[in-house]
Amino acid sequence: MVMIVLPALLDSRWLAVATTFVIFTIVALSQDIVLGKSGMFNMGQALFFGLGAYTTAVCNSVFGWPLLATLPLAILIPALFGIILAGPIIHLRGDYLLVVTIGFNIVFVQALQNNLFGVTGGPNGIFGLEMLNVPGLTAFQEFTPYYAALAVLVLTLFVIHNLESSKIGRALHYLREDDLAAGSIGINTRIYKIFAFSLGAGIAGMAGTVYANQYSAVSPEAFDFLQSVLFFSIVIVGGSSVPGILLGVFIMFVLPEIFREFATWRYFIFGFAMIFTMILRPRGIWPAKFGRIPKAFIDSRR
Amino acid sequence: MDIFLQQLVNGLTIGSMFALIALGYTMVYGVMKLINFAHGDLVAGSAFVGLFVFSELLGGEVSLPVVIGVFLLTIVVIALLGFTVERLAYRPLRTAPRLSAVVSALGASMVIQNGIMLLWGPQMHIFPELIPSMIWDIGGVVISLMQVLIMALSMILMIGLYLFVEKTKIGTAIRASAIDQDAARLMGINVNNIIVTIFLIGSALGAVGGLFIGLYYRGITFNMGWQYGLYAFVAAIMGGIGNIPGAMLGGVLLGLFNAFIAGYISSTWADAFTFILLIVILIVRPTGILGERVAEKV
Repeated sequence: MVMIVLPALLDSRWLAVATTFVIFTIVALSQDIVLGKSGMFNMGQALFFGLGAYTTAVCNSVFGWPLLATLPLAILIPALFGIILAGPIIHLRGDYLLVVTIGFNIVFVQALQNNLFGVTGGPNGIFGLEMLNVPGLTAFQEFTPYYAALAVLVLTLFVIHNLESSKIGRALHYLREDDLAAGSIGINTRIYKIFAFSLGAGIAGMAGTVYANQYSAVSPEAFDFLQSVLFFSIVIVGGSSVPGILLGVFIMFVLPEIFREFATWRYFIFGFAMIFTMILRPRGIWPAKFGRIPKAFIDSRR
Repeated sequence: MDIFLQQLVNGLTIGSMFALIALGYTMVYGVMKLINFAHGDLVAGSAFVGLFVFSELLGGEVSLPVVIGVFLLTIVVIALLGFTVERLAYRPLRTAPRLSAVVSALGASMVIQNGIMLLWGPQMHIFPELIPSMIWDIGGVVISLMQVLIMALSMILMIGLYLFVEKTKIGTAIRASAIDQDAARLMGINVNNIIVTIFLIGSALGAVGGLFIGLYYRGITFNMGWQYGLYAFVAAIMGGIGNIPGAMLGGVLLGLFNAFIAGYISSTWADAFTFILLIVILIVRPTGILGERVAEKV
């Protein structure tokens, strides 16, 4: 596919953009699990993204672990936090959940900035991380971050595809459509919601490791709640489907990069674009289509 | 004891400002169930508009009529801006899924925030000193004229709003629309007009809050809207969203809490603790401190 050959065609700045594009797509997909598929208003995904990145950073710089070895931990710790954090708040209604997730994110970033436990490096973050080395492939050294990201993306897509066609995926779909009804047919909504949260967190954590790899550094600003807002918007503007998410990341991340020359005007226009997109396509530019349910039933209810 | 009283004064002042801003959020949320993310940026905008009105339109000399003029003109401008935001970004999405309105609100926030940046630049501006800096030292506690004025004016406005909402016909219509929009329509209430009204009032109060922020903190930047907006929204939730006295109470409590944390523990953790407080309150009392125990699942 195009994505595999891409590094050869791009110069270093655009390669960095492309790599981050892939990474953000992974996070957006993880956000979609929680927001799009399960219908939970989560605006704190950057927290788990950051947890994974910082886990990798700390393990690498403080404990000297090689990058690949940090990966399992970078998935597990965010996933664990996902369970712990989701537990007490999962029953809250949409908007409250939204603010609480923002709150978690802010607490996380402040903890990082205040150099909690002395390992997080304060506002400057941690840098000088070791990059992923594939022995024998030194010729393409600059490309490894991109391919690492791509590999993780493929893995994520595989997981999501399996999720959608599985019992868990269907359960999440039902509980998003109608929480009460799902509960009444025997779906333990609480467990499934916590699971979705945790899965999304783990995947975001994985993306965090790749991100730390790309920049060899982590810092608190990359994970503040404004980033969460970005991921949230990507899912809603793009729509809760894989092409939708790709489109969403492109629009919300790549386009502003392309228009960097119009630096001062970009976000101004951008805001208008967001408003108009929502007015014209409230379900996102490329909304999800569900299995084999006849289209007539879905459309007539909307 | 000194620190306590000092932070009490500081907290009440900041709290009054938060309360004014929180009222805008809570009124809109009560009726439309929408978090008006653009509200915080309107507040930031009011500080800039106030600056502009003072220096460009009214000559830049401090005097009582000028100060009153600054306040009134800014309130009118921001109220109109709030009205425009409702018309452009929210009304077309009345029937759309909730999340779309949220993104539209985020978009509106971006537009206003960057609009401010385009007009005034990204650097910090200094808000003019409209109130003479008089301070009193009462037994070790420093209190300034500005703080007294902020607290007094906020209290007057809040009492005024409370009476308006409780005793007048429009106020009752607002409360009715917040409980059930469709039922209110059936009773003959023009809900569209009510929505316009709450946006106007909320934005006006937010404008006053923004001017106070400018006066109190002196330095204003185009992106300060989000910070205060978020705090004010937290205050509104703590007090019980949709509940007007709740927003006032929440604002004051939040201001106090923030001041005490900053005073006793450290200001770098103030944000974190504030949100932890919010999370605890939502777990323990999901409808907020003064919120009604509604059958609706929260």
